[in-house]
Amino acid sequence: MKPLALLGRTLQLVPVLLGVSVIVFVMMLLTPGDPVEIMLADQQATPQQVETMRHDMGLDRPALERFGVFLGNAATGNFGLSFFHRRPVFDVIAERLPATIELTLAALLLALVIAIPLGVIAAIKKNSLVDRLAAVGSLFGISLPGFWFGIILIILFAVHLKILPVAGRMDFACEVAPVTYLLTIDSLLRGRPDCFTNALSHLVLPALTLALPMAAVLTRVQRTAMIEVLRSDYITFAEAKGLSRRRILWRHALKNALVPTVTVAAIETGSLLGGNMVVETVFGWPGLGRLVVESIFVRNYPLVQAAVLFYAVTYVLLNFVADILYTVLNPRVKL
Amino acid sequence: MFSRVSAVAAIAMMAAVPLAPAMASELRVGFTLDALTLDPANHRNRQTETILRNIYDGLLTRDAKMKVVPELAESWTQVDPLTYDFRIRQGVKFHDGSTMTADDIVFTFERLTKDGAMGGQTSPRKDLVGPVESITKVDANTVRFKLKEPWPILPAMLPVQEVVSKAFTEKVGSQGLATQTNGNGPFKLVEWRKGDAIILERFDDYYGGSPDIAPVGKACVDRVIFRIIPENASRVAALLAGEADIIAELPPYDMKKVEANANTKVMTVNGTRSFFVALNNAKKPFDDPRVRRAANMAVNKALIIDKILLGTAVPLNGVLSPDAFGFNPDLPAYAFDIAAAKALLAEAGYPDGLDVTLDTDGAFKDMAEAVAAMLTKIGIRTKVVVGEGSTIRAKWAPGGEKKGDMFFNSWGNGSLDPADIFVPTLRTGDRGNTAFYSNKEVDALLDAANVELDQVKRADLYKKAQVLVNKDAPWIFLWLPQDIYGVSKRVTGWEPSADSRINLHDACVK
Repeated sequence: MKPLALLGRTLQLVPVLLGVSVIVFVMMLLTPGDPVEIMLADQQATPQQVETMRHDMGLDRPALERFGVFLGNAATGNFGLSFFHRRPVFDVIAERLPATIELTLAALLLALVIAIPLGVIAAIKKNSLVDRLAAVGSLFGISLPGFWFGIILIILFAVHLKILPVAGRMDFACEVAPVTYLLTIDSLLRGRPDCFTNALSHLVLPALTLALPMAAVLTRVQRTAMIEVLRSDYITFAEAKGLSRRRILWRHALKNALVPTVTVAAIETGSLLGGNMVVETVFGWPGLGRLVVESIFVRNYPLVQAAVLFYAVTYVLLNFVADILYTVLNPRVKL
Repeated sequence: MFSRVSAVAAIAMMAAVPLAPAMASELRVGFTLDALTLDPANHRNRQTETILRNIYDGLLTRDAKMKVVPELAESWTQVDPLTYDFRIRQGVKFHDGSTMTADDIVFTFERLTKDGAMGGQTSPRKDLVGPVESITKVDANTVRFKLKEPWPILPAMLPVQEVVSKAFTEKVGSQGLATQTNGNGPFKLVEWRKGDAIILERFDDYYGGSPDIAPVGKACVDRVIFRIIPENASRVAALLAGEADIIAELPPYDMKKVEANANTKVMTVNGTRSFFVALNNAKKPFDDPRVRRAANMAVNKALIIDKILLGTAVPLNGVLSPDAFGFNPDLPAYAFDIAAAKALLAEAGYPDGLDVTLDTDGAFKDMAEAVAAMLTKIGIRTKVVVGEGSTIRAKWAPGGEKKGDMFFNSWGNGSLDPADIFVPTLRTGDRGNTAFYSNKEVDALLDAANVELDQVKRADLYKKAQVLVNKDAPWIFLWLPQDIYGVSKRVTGWEPSADSRINLHDACVK
């Protein structure tokens, strides 16, 4: 990968972020509802209090000026104060981000672990019972609403079987000094296997709920890719050479059949961020997705703007990662 | 595949083994929303208040009957309609061991009421302390509140203001107070896992709380954890799975499930929000009290409460909650009577009925439609128009064009004092008077109550005013929804509170 191409990619971010900022700002402007009114709604406020709040939040200024201030500040990494937390948006988001990263990574890993073997087996045993079951399973995985599936998992594993917790990230009894802020990894780094299993037990159900639709898509991708590769000439040649079936499948075929799966996975990770909003709410997972949903409901403009920018950057970066992975796995392709 | 499944199962089994035998008694509350901040002065959010009120105490508090009683104050006197003196309790310790003084009280309330007093920000709670002119230390044990105009609900509003330490706040600044605490309440902060849990432990040097509320002394449980589980179904699951001991905002449709479980029960308490349909008293047809009374007779409240609210509300014949100060229990009810309502409508000159619209926010659409269907039956043919909150409120602003017919509305009354609901919604031209109701007699009674120092006389004035309003029927009086909690049977000593606080001082676990 040439430095020039890297620079070009980075510069592409600028118009994307600017466009996203404008869209989000206009959408928030057009959404009915007044953050001041929502904030003071619990006990009806006097008009003076409303005006003071409006001024404090900078909402008494014209929309265009507010947007200008936002852009200027955002360029320097200052996203202002969250209306409701009355603390810097940056801090509030940073506190919630590790939980989302941990959940997303776990879901990604889980999706790959489910999808790759299942896709390969379905491809090898095309039209067999396993293949049909995988197809039906994928259909379910894509169709089941995460919201419903999550609650079913909770009722089954937490309420009836009582082997997994309902919600949260880790029990109170575990306190692990942060290193990466990913609790499963930190408990291992700090030599607390008990906390590791505790954190993992909290992670299993939300990660599974989040992973399911992605695993469904990836299984189909993996199956198609594998079938195509198995039909290609070099596989026929390898078979003619008398290589063992096992060696052909896992050594020669899978490596090439992984290319589309991995690239799709990288791009789909972006959609996991969307899925997070639902899953984090269902499982009381203290991540960014839930924070954004709550913030949209109360019209917490500064936080929503900053979070959507963050999502946009992540999405662009993931696409970038997908491109790089593609070149690594398939050296014929140059960026 | 199967080995993977068994691996997951194995991990799950390991996780099911408890980490360590829990010696300490621990009470877990399944809660809907995390605290927005830990600064008691920098939010205006009921959930944040509920959490913080276990860490911080107030000058005054409420007993189980919702009577306002002293807490950090030892006593108080109203010198004249504009002056209140609070005698400060001695020997109250903050969590860092320092002693609370009158200076802390003055500092707390100046921070709440002065513009820009919180590192440049103005407290969103400023108007909850009323029209304060000045707060001064009279002597080492006495603090005086001087008001600009009479505001009889000052004592009723003080239970929702927590007292902070002057020295600590000056040390950490307002930014620091957003995430750190040095309270004087029964529990002190151990850890705030943002978005996940707030972990508190008993404060052993607690002064004991209000002497008017038994038992006085330290908190019963060693540890309290507020666990944030926003999704209703998951919060209920946490209760049923034994992960939460008390859950707030139990959805009515899950009440049966909680009752059916051997280890859990449902507890309800009247809320503080009164629902009503504001009728436009300023224009036809609702300028005629007979039409308004007919509308009240047309609505079968009991049926709506039973079928839509699943029995979790109490019917109202006036503006006030039955738990509010000055509530008049003798108000006549407008009995559901279609024939009488039709006759009254005909007498008012509408034998063939009339056509009107009912404005409502989307959240109350189902209830508004039920009301509309019942009104239509007696000939008040009602069309429900769902609108967005701020748009509707602009249409129904007391200073606006007064063009609407009916508005499905509500008003919260956290102070449980008429001055905070009766006055704003029914006094001529006041800020929440969406019915554009005006009755000089009612205004005179409300104004007299506003400056009456004798609480018995003040209550009496409000009771008289309620009789007049009931007769004038400026609204269709609806109901007061209840707060519903799911509670584990291992919890004792805890009752839900009509001011929607979750006070855990007296709660114990078996």
